[in-house]
Amino acid sequence: MAIKNYDELTSMELDTLREIGSMGTGNAATALSQMLGREVRITLPEVRIMGYNEAIEWIGGPEEITAGVLVKMGGQINGIMLSCQQLEFVNLVLDSVLQQHIEDYSQLAELENSCLIEVGNIMISTFINALSGLAGMDVTLTVPAFTVDMQGAILAVPMAEYGGQSDYIMTIGGNFVCDNKQVPCRLLMSPDLRSLNALLRKLGVSDE
Amino acid sequence: MSDKLVIGIADMKMARGEGMLVTYALGSCIGICLHDPALKLGALVHIMLPLNMEAGRKNPMKYGDTGIRETLKQMEAKGASRSRITAKIAGGAKMFEVGSNSLGNIGQRNIESVHMNLKKEGIRLLKEDVGGGVARTLLFDVNSGLACIRSYGRKELII
Repeated sequence: MAIKNYDELTSMELDTLREIGSMGTGNAATALSQMLGREVRITLPEVRIMGYNEAIEWIGGPEEITAGVLVKMGGQINGIMLSCQQLEFVNLVLDSVLQQHIEDYSQLAELENSCLIEVGNIMISTFINALSGLAGMDVTLTVPAFTVDMQGAILAVPMAEYGGQSDYIMTIGGNFVCDNKQVPCRLLMSPDLRSLNALLRKLGVSDE
Repeated sequence: MSDKLVIGIADMKMARGEGMLVTYALGSCIGICLHDPALKLGALVHIMLPLNMEAGRKNPMKYGDTGIRETLKQMEAKGASRSRITAKIAGGAKMFEVGSNSLGNIGQRNIESVHMNLKKEGIRLLKEDVGGGVARTLLFDVNSGLACIRSYGRKELII
């Protein structure tokens, strides 16, 4: 049965999504590890279905400034993929790639920005490649967009995009561990409901 | 200000006499401050989308049209007079520039919807800080009717 709301997902469907998250984040971690030349592992991937305000608390409060890379998915899966890069992660990337360190986001210039966009874009693309390979679905990705602003407003982008369908947002994703330290970088995938149904059907867990 | 009321997404709160209404990180969403100066009654709505097309109408405060309508109704129930109520709005930004896609137009559509619905309800729009590409935190003092807007990398703005 196709679901009409995220809270109708069965535990088996949730497990499948968690597996997708694990595989996608795992692939993204490998890509990140190659870019940084450091060991990167992932924490337990999560599938979360949250109310809007709950989601914003979960990501660490609305006003916290963060760098966000956003890519829109099209083709057989529609959705939004976000990489939220908190300062610690930004410094990890800048240190490894450019041998730089910043105290706050205002120090980011063009070169640093493109470095963060590229890292975010590669992680997102690897995640989606793994997903589209597994499900045998064609997914197209837009050119990445980048902003540095309050994370509440960044997270509101996928919410508003699919807000007409649901009062909840579903995110699939995880955190990274680098040099045995948890680094706050969240990779979040938010598919629209129709695509989520199509994906579950392709993977054979949705009983029709 | 001691009593600060926080308004979440798709939410509305009111205060009378004294009080600060706050809503954080408005991106493409819009915060609408409605104020009856005679009663010092203020309401702040945080809407996310322009028009309510939901069949169930579970949450009117999520949308520009039903959000404004429902808030005015509740203000009038507390004795506010429509002819005195004025509005100030903030938000409607475009957080990401994504190619030629329709994504990111929500901010602009929200602004248009709020303008249209305020006009339809006969509410005067005094001041606004809308559009652009920055997130805004909106603080609304119901005593003075002044709104303060905080953004990242921009000076505080009082409207």
